Amino acid sequence: MPFTLKQFGILTEKTLLFLFIMKKDGQVIAFNNRCKVLFPNECDRIKGRYITDFVIDEDVPIFIKTISKLSLETPIVNESFTFPLSKTGVLSLKFDFTLHNDLVYVTGIDTTEEYKEHRALITISKLTKTGAWYFDVMNQEMYWTKGCYLIKELDPDTPMTRDLGASFYPKESRDRVENYLSTLIQNKEPYEYTEKIITHKGNEKWIKVVAQPVIYRNEVVYVNGTIADITDRHNYVEKLKYNEETKHLALKGIQSGLFDHFIDKKEVFYSEAFKKMLGLPLDTHIVPEQEFREMIHPDDIDKALKKHKNNLEKDGNHYHNQYRLRGKKGKYRFYEVHGFKRKNEKGETVRMVGNLIDVHQKKLSKKTIEESKKRLIAMVNNGMDYIILLNTKGEILMADEDSLKIIKRDFDVDPTGSTSLFIDVMPVNFKPSFADNFNEALKGNTIKKEIERVTHNGTNQWLETKYIPILDDASKVDSVLITFHDITEEKLAELAIKQAHIKEHELSELKSNILSNLSHEIRTPLNGIIAISTLLQTEENPEERIKLTEYLKESQDRLFDTLNTLGGFSEIESIQKNLNYSELDINYVVETSFREYRHLANAKKLEYTLDLDESCPQASIDENLFNTALNNIIHNAIKYTIDGSVQVKIKTKRSKKNIYIYIIDTGIGIDKDNYQKIFDPFVQESIGFSRKYEGTGMGLSLSKRYIEILGGSIKVKSKLGKGTEFIIIIPKCV
Amino acid sequence: MNVLYVEDNKINAMVMDKMLSKSNSNVIIAENGSQALKVVKEKTLDLILVDINLGLNQMDGCELLQRFRKLDILNSIPVFAVTAYAMPGDEQRFIDLGFDKYFSKPVNFDKLLAVISAIGVS
Repeated sequence: MPFTLKQFGILTEKTLLFLFIMKKDGQVIAFNNRCKVLFPNECDRIKGRYITDFVIDEDVPIFIKTISKLSLETPIVNESFTFPLSKTGVLSLKFDFTLHNDLVYVTGIDTTEEYKEHRALITISKLTKTGAWYFDVMNQEMYWTKGCYLIKELDPDTPMTRDLGASFYPKESRDRVENYLSTLIQNKEPYEYTEKIITHKGNEKWIKVVAQPVIYRNEVVYVNGTIADITDRHNYVEKLKYNEETKHLALKGIQSGLFDHFIDKKEVFYSEAFKKMLGLPLDTHIVPEQEFREMIHPDDIDKALKKHKNNLEKDGNHYHNQYRLRGKKGKYRFYEVHGFKRKNEKGETVRMVGNLIDVHQKKLSKKTIEESKKRLIAMVNNGMDYIILLNTKGEILMADEDSLKIIKRDFDVDPTGSTSLFIDVMPVNFKPSFADNFNEALKGNTIKKEIERVTHNGTNQWLETKYIPILDDASKVDSVLITFHDITEEKLAELAIKQAHIKEHELSELKSNILSNLSHEIRTPLNGIIAISTLLQTEENPEERIKLTEYLKESQDRLFDTLNTLGGFSEIESIQKNLNYSELDINYVVETSFREYRHLANAKKLEYTLDLDESCPQASIDENLFNTALNNIIHNAIKYTIDGSVQVKIKTKRSKKNIYIYIIDTGIGIDKDNYQKIFDPFVQESIGFSRKYEGTGMGLSLSKRYIEILGGSIKVKSKLGKGTEFIIIIPKCV
Repeated sequence: MNVLYVEDNKINAMVMDKMLSKSNSNVIIAENGSQALKVVKEKTLDLILVDINLGLNQMDGCELLQRFRKLDILNSIPVFAVTAYAMPGDEQRFIDLGFDKYFSKPVNFDKLLAVISAIGVS
């Protein structure tokens, strides 16, 4: 039978329960006194307010959801809601909801302490990576909290069983772990263990598991436990163990020994390691100072004693010395002493505790390294002309002195002082090929190339350059060595040989040309001479005989001409000795030559003109030699001109020092490549059997030599097919 | 027997004329290639003698030979080179170019006349 409202009121005042009645939408209608704490300062006006106004934010939706599920058949029990409270922070209540006459009757009990503990646990588990679990022995049910799932990296919605739980342990430990739980159930004693697990995602972790049995009537009915992820701690401990071992091994490895030097007593106490190191008897602890001194190498003793004395007298507490000591088997080894001095009131050192360290190997290694370094530097500076070591980024790690000098001079960069890319300190035209070669070297290939550079003096330097990849222990390219070997001399010699070959070939061509031309020039008139001689033997007609004789003379002249020109060459030396210099009017001298060929030019119907210089310049020359030279050139101009003109001009305007004589024709011209060759003896511009011109080809060469003997020079300008301009330049008499 | 002699040197041309007239040959002189080409079109010839160096800016004997060879009527007429180019190898070079025979200057007229009379007989 239900209580009357009054009864209910009295009853409710006597209870620890929180009771209130509300409508289905949460509107509060009535509540007992205990509920006043839930609705602070609002007691009078509470009616008509909604319960959801008072619960903490996160509970609001849960509350609404809970009420909506409520029906006559299904009351709701054990739902927790939390209210903020000014004095104690929060009040957490566990409620039962009952529906009656369309009103909700709510009964609540204070579970604040449990709530706080629960919250704290959640926070702790977050901090320590822990999870809780329990095992229902009766029903063989395993339950995990979210923390357990997190540690195992498993989806929290996965239903848990004992077997699944065990599956995270590696096979070799699975039986052992299973046994822990079985033993607990059997022996009713708690356990804890640390084991390795493999998480769902395959990660290796170390966990610590603690389990506690709940016993009812001497039977384990329930096991609750926790799991903690202790991977970090485990790893740290392992590392610590490793470090400890390292330290231990390191201590074993160090060749050192402790000593305690009582300076006033002139005695030294040695540790066991010390005695072993030096081969001293192990049963005596104290060695007299003098005995120790006798063990020091005779070469080091004076220096060591001096240093010892200075060390003891100087300020501060640190002591350092080094010397060789005679050890076991009478062999000397290098030792270093590091010590700590203790002084008396007067400031005198009375005791020194220190460590004697065997640095023999270090000293020898250092010496070897020093020597190797010196040798390396010597190799670097003398073996190659330039040598540069780059890292894989192309930065200069090391370079020889000469390279450094060049880089400093040309780029104002000091690669030893700052990190510099090699590509930044080379001429622009080398950069692309450097980049190619360097990249090849990075692939592990050795590259050999020849390069040509211009030194700062402007001379050419040929270098044979090699890119050599240097591999590390793992056969990866670690750096690239670039060496430069100066091959300028070889290169120049090679070029000289090539030039000599070309010259030799040209000379041999020239020789056969000379012979061929001479032969042709001799045979042609000889043909006439021989044939006419034969004809003269039988010819009886006097007129014919005269005609034949004239032809004979003509052929003879031509033959002599050829032979004379040839003679001219060999005569040059004697000509030089027999020159007859006099100051002559160049207008007159040139006109003499000009006239000599007028008939020839007229015969070819060429326009043939002479331009004299008004200043009547004079030059000191040998007239014969000059005329011979000029004759050749004029004759040549007429010979190679089919139609048009041959002009001879004398000019002095251009220069105060020189007279210029121009011989300009409209002849066949000379190929540019042959400008110089036309002055070579025996070379006609058109050579071989198909040449078009009579003559030995020696004329121009002779002219040039003659003019040069007279202190002048000859220049030539020409265009193939258009004509040629020879310029004789001769110094003027002032 | 009609013999064409292409030669720019007048003395050499004259002596050839005199020498060959001994063998009842009628010598026609051409001073250069173009004259020679004109002659071959007008006259019936039995032999052609060609100097190689035919002077300033002129077609040379070798080029002239090539021109002759292009004229069908001349295929059966012997063409001899008569030249002062007489270095080792020259004879072979001219024979290779297509001359039927090679005579160096100074000309051995006994030999030349013997060859000509052989042509006349055949």
